[in-house]
Amino acid sequence: MKKTPFRRRFLTSISVLATLAAAASVTPTAQANDRLIELSKSNENWVMPGRTYDADNYSPMAQINTENVKELRPAWSFSDGVLNGHEGAPLVVNGKMFINGPFPNRTYALELDNPGKIVWEHNPKQSASARAVACCDVVNRGLAYWPGDGKTPALIFKNQLDGHLVAMNAETGQTYWEIENADIKVGATETQAPYVVKDEVLTGTSGAELGVRGYVTAYDVRTGEKKWRAYATGSDKDLLLAKDFNIHNPQYGQANLGQTTWEGDEWKIGGGTNWGWYAFDPGTNLVYFGTGNPAPWNATMRPGDNKWTMTIFGRDVDTGEAKFGYQKTPHDEWDYAGVDVMMLSEQKDSTGKLRKLLTHPDRNGIIYTVDRENGDLVSAHKIDDTVNWVKHVDMKTGIPIRDPEYATYMDHKGRDICPAAMGYHNQGFDSYDPQKQIFLLGANHICMDWEPFMLPYRAGQFFVGATLSMYPGPKGNRQAAEGLGQIKAYNAITGEIKWDKMERFAVWGGTMSTAGNLVFYGTLDGFLKARDTRTGELLWKFKLPSGVVGYPITYEHKGVQYVAIYYGVGGWPGVGMVFDLEDPSAGLGAVGAFKNLQRYTKQGGGVFVFSLGGHGPYDDPKVGEYDVN
Amino acid sequence: MKWTSLISSAAGLSVAAGLTLFTAPVAMAAYDGTHCKAPGNCWEPQPGYPEQGIGSKYDPHHDPKELAKQQEAEDQMDERNAKRVRYFKSWGQFIYDVNKIPSGPK
Repeated sequence: MKKTPFRRRFLTSISVLATLAAAASVTPTAQANDRLIELSKSNENWVMPGRTYDADNYSPMAQINTENVKELRPAWSFSDGVLNGHEGAPLVVNGKMFINGPFPNRTYALELDNPGKIVWEHNPKQSASARAVACCDVVNRGLAYWPGDGKTPALIFKNQLDGHLVAMNAETGQTYWEIENADIKVGATETQAPYVVKDEVLTGTSGAELGVRGYVTAYDVRTGEKKWRAYATGSDKDLLLAKDFNIHNPQYGQANLGQTTWEGDEWKIGGGTNWGWYAFDPGTNLVYFGTGNPAPWNATMRPGDNKWTMTIFGRDVDTGEAKFGYQKTPHDEWDYAGVDVMMLSEQKDSTGKLRKLLTHPDRNGIIYTVDRENGDLVSAHKIDDTVNWVKHVDMKTGIPIRDPEYATYMDHKGRDICPAAMGYHNQGFDSYDPQKQIFLLGANHICMDWEPFMLPYRAGQFFVGATLSMYPGPKGNRQAAEGLGQIKAYNAITGEIKWDKMERFAVWGGTMSTAGNLVFYGTLDGFLKARDTRTGELLWKFKLPSGVVGYPITYEHKGVQYVAIYYGVGGWPGVGMVFDLEDPSAGLGAVGAFKNLQRYTKQGGGVFVFSLGGHGPYDDPKVGEYDVN
Repeated sequence: MKWTSLISSAAGLSVAAGLTLFTAPVAMAAYDGTHCKAPGNCWEPQPGYPEQGIGSKYDPHHDPKELAKQQEAEDQMDERNAKRVRYFKSWGQFIYDVNKIPSGPK
């Protein structure tokens, strides 16, 4: 094993070949990106969150299907030695699996032929103070891969909780470059999976609960050089708004709103951090992502629409310029951070016109579908009929028509607000089955009471200003504190929920669907489940060592289809267990909502891999054995 | 959806003996998002709440020095990163600790 610890105080330089000087100045081309696209289409790989740039978590493989899924058995497993919440998923590239855990963000490479031997480990030494400014457990949502170009080696990218973006040699695990993208001293952290497009690696930040002003930054994969940075609030220049920003939808708002929809300089501490997922369309050359909640949560403290937090952005990936932006929840009053997954599809709209679409199940309980070429709003349906803060979305203006009964403001306690701050959907990476044209959604079913309070802003300290009580939604069991989640099949054109099933806890991690008519997902109480995509019928499940907050992936190796998933309960819903909290309002209200989770699972951390009959690398028991010669 | 002027959107309503009076700046109806000053600018205060936080009982009393700290931190990170990248591109060696990056003509 080549162990590559990074001790910043002692080991301050990483030597690489001198010839890299020339490589570092190579003019970027799309060649490497084309290879990444090709790699993503192979069943043998899972090279990015979402599998391909469509970000649909869908595999055309059908070796495992509704007829034989009951024969799924464990093929192998790996414990990464860290007990916090394991969000996201591993990557699989060219016969290796790359695994990354929560803080301290150790990364492992395993050979699929013999995963019992660790090929390399990257073990950063971070300041423990990073943990103190993490909002909701010390999670990490995964890695990014760039295939190299013959001069610069293939690279694996990860974000560290302490705000560093690290490029590692995919063959050796050695640090290739490492830069600072967020400063924990002002409360900014990194929990997101980086995202590679062309020869850039994109990353956002976390920390809106500490008043961090959000931004997305693109760095040159070869050198770490900053290419562009786009803020969520502030001047049009800081926001990188294109001259024709929202030209197709001026009703969304255009220029000069990133400051004028705030009072004074509050936009400087206004949140809007992007810690969720990306998608990319090579045809539009736009990268898509969402900005998060405004800060603080206490809405009375920030009069205005608070542009451009809570926004679906389509940005030119070369320049960062925003071509369109649609703010879903103006003047957020409930922490409906808008960073959830963006899934791309091509479907006929209700008039029969074939369109390039983006579908986004938002934390606010609305599933938005927009035309990803121009930002036109195509549909906006409630993910569940119990959403009550909004009556409906005006399809001409895009404005949510709020129900004032569920508003939150100072000197008032809002009650029975649905969804809760955790949303009816959160960071789970969901899937889209293009054959059936349905989205498979892992959902929350949680409502809340909300009472704001005033507090000062101090850089690096929590800046929330609300006390929350969360509990199951109307379809759950509030006495038992169960019935906190759902799994749903949704048609974005008709709005039809084809089927839905209640779950004991939130389906936090997301779904993966396949051409085998299957949808896989993990549960907080520790099951990997498979349902029939067409009917929702539960066909198979397996109890994992710990609860799941990540999403499944699938890949083929030597003719065998595997399904892999992280186990390791935690994240926001598991924060009470992770930090041993008992006050129901602690963990920003999560402790009370998930008080019964501890009766079903305990902490753990690692990956479990399944195949039909458990076939795999150790079918031959001699594989991996000690060789006396 | 009604596009209303700043004055009318801020106008309040008092009802007494069947008479309707405009009494700015108190909002006349609960905030539902439909009374816009301009496209993308539709916020209004809850009934009885001030248009502006500053100077009201809900003034957060922000300290400009605290509000400036994030940008200062970003500028400092950018400066350190630029030094690292410049040396990496020039010499093919990545050095994280900027204090150990050799100074020179490059």
